[in-house]
Amino acid sequence: MGLPLYDAHSDPGPSFYQYAQTAGLNAAVSASSGLSAHATTVIAVRYDQGVVMVGDRQATGNYIASRDVRKIEPADRFTAIAISGTAARGIEFIRMAQLSFEHYEKMTDSALSLEGKANYLSPIVQRNNLSSPLIVIPLLAGWDPSHQVGRIFEYDGAGGCYERFDFATIGSGTPFAESALRLGFRTDLDREAALELGALALYEAGDNDPSTGGPDFVRNIYPMMVTITSEGFQELDNDDVAARFRAINERRTQSGGVAGGTLR
Amino acid sequence: MSNYFYVSPEQLTKDRAEFAQKGIARGRSLVAALYDVGVLLVAENPSASLNKISEIYDRIAFAGVGKYNEFDRLREAGIRWADGTGFTYSREDVDARALANYYAQHLGDMFTEGQKPLEVEILVAQLGNKIRPTKLYRIAYEGTISDESRFAVLGGDAETIRSRFAATEEVIHPLRETLRNAVDALAGPERTIATPELEVGILEDRGARRTFLRLSDDQVSELLR
Repeated sequence: MGLPLYDAHSDPGPSFYQYAQTAGLNAAVSASSGLSAHATTVIAVRYDQGVVMVGDRQATGNYIASRDVRKIEPADRFTAIAISGTAARGIEFIRMAQLSFEHYEKMTDSALSLEGKANYLSPIVQRNNLSSPLIVIPLLAGWDPSHQVGRIFEYDGAGGCYERFDFATIGSGTPFAESALRLGFRTDLDREAALELGALALYEAGDNDPSTGGPDFVRNIYPMMVTITSEGFQELDNDDVAARFRAINERRTQSGGVAGGTLR
Repeated sequence: MSNYFYVSPEQLTKDRAEFAQKGIARGRSLVAALYDVGVLLVAENPSASLNKISEIYDRIAFAGVGKYNEFDRLREAGIRWADGTGFTYSREDVDARALANYYAQHLGDMFTEGQKPLEVEILVAQLGNKIRPTKLYRIAYEGTISDESRFAVLGGDAETIRSRFAATEEVIHPLRETLRNAVDALAGPERTIATPELEVGILEDRGARRTFLRLSDDQVSELLR
């Protein structure tokens, strides 16, 4: 790779995606026969201090390909990106997003706004999904330092970006997780309540959706739980997450495999 | 057919060098130096937003003096090159020496073949780790590249500043002393430089992947106190 110098009229600006397109660093996207699995559940819930995200760890094809996949990654200090859909494209998507935000910051000496990051991803999702069966649907959540609030942005298959003020889910477990969230969400959730609700919604999805991995007590692998607040992206440690899922599991065992009349 | 007068290569090179030197001498100078746990970059820069010092990659910084639009384009190309290389291969494959060589080739090409030579002098600094050394690569307007193991001075008055700084930097100091000596060397005995006119950046391990940090006026004042 030579020195990428451009004339003022052909300069790709501070967008790494634009530069990667110009320089041919991206894999060519083309239609081919491929299976698009949406097997995943990732949840984002807004609460008074930020956003909680919970994501399952299972990669599913015709069989379980992996039990410890990370579907939520920090895109930068105050932003998290989760993916559902084709794993290969999803990983590339996360790399592109992480690098793009940092690239912009270095080029312009100022960070992109959270809304700027959300909008930036739209055409990338669109270009991928409309030209290939290897679909990727991301979920972006972050702490907005200029408005001092946690925010969630979801995307449709065509790259449309929508802000959600309560919660959002992606992946095949959505109907089950969403039902639990709709019943349990309140606008005044605190951190503990948001974590509890997120874990419960993921438990529901893992229970009913064959492509979502619930808590794996045998292998000691649990869904990922993170918070994004004014302190930045923080991942809960495995023991903490294990205790939360054990508690839910214990209650379910007591009430015979169902929630038992209350959302718990 | 129009008439061209013969100009000897010696004369042409001399004229171009003079032209570039004159352009560079119009701007203020810059000092880059190692301190005990990092690399310091200090520029005299009256502008708070048109930077001479910038982050390139996790452990690489850029500094330029001379014509702003010319070195800023080189800075942008450096960030693109580094991010592109890291994206294609791996983050640890991004090496300052490779980037410095590209810069040297480009400046050399512009000096001999361009409409006019670039009126810039640039520096690529790398903070070392287990696999790479800490280095300062200084690249002159005609593409001469030199690797400095302790410190480098860029700009019009480089020789004077270099001798002033060398006198105080016989050993590698902590950040505070290094900054003080660099600012004194830039100012000279008859002058003081106000903090807002200083642009200061460092490369230092602080437990994160990215090591570059731009110091605020308050941080600089505190260090110079």
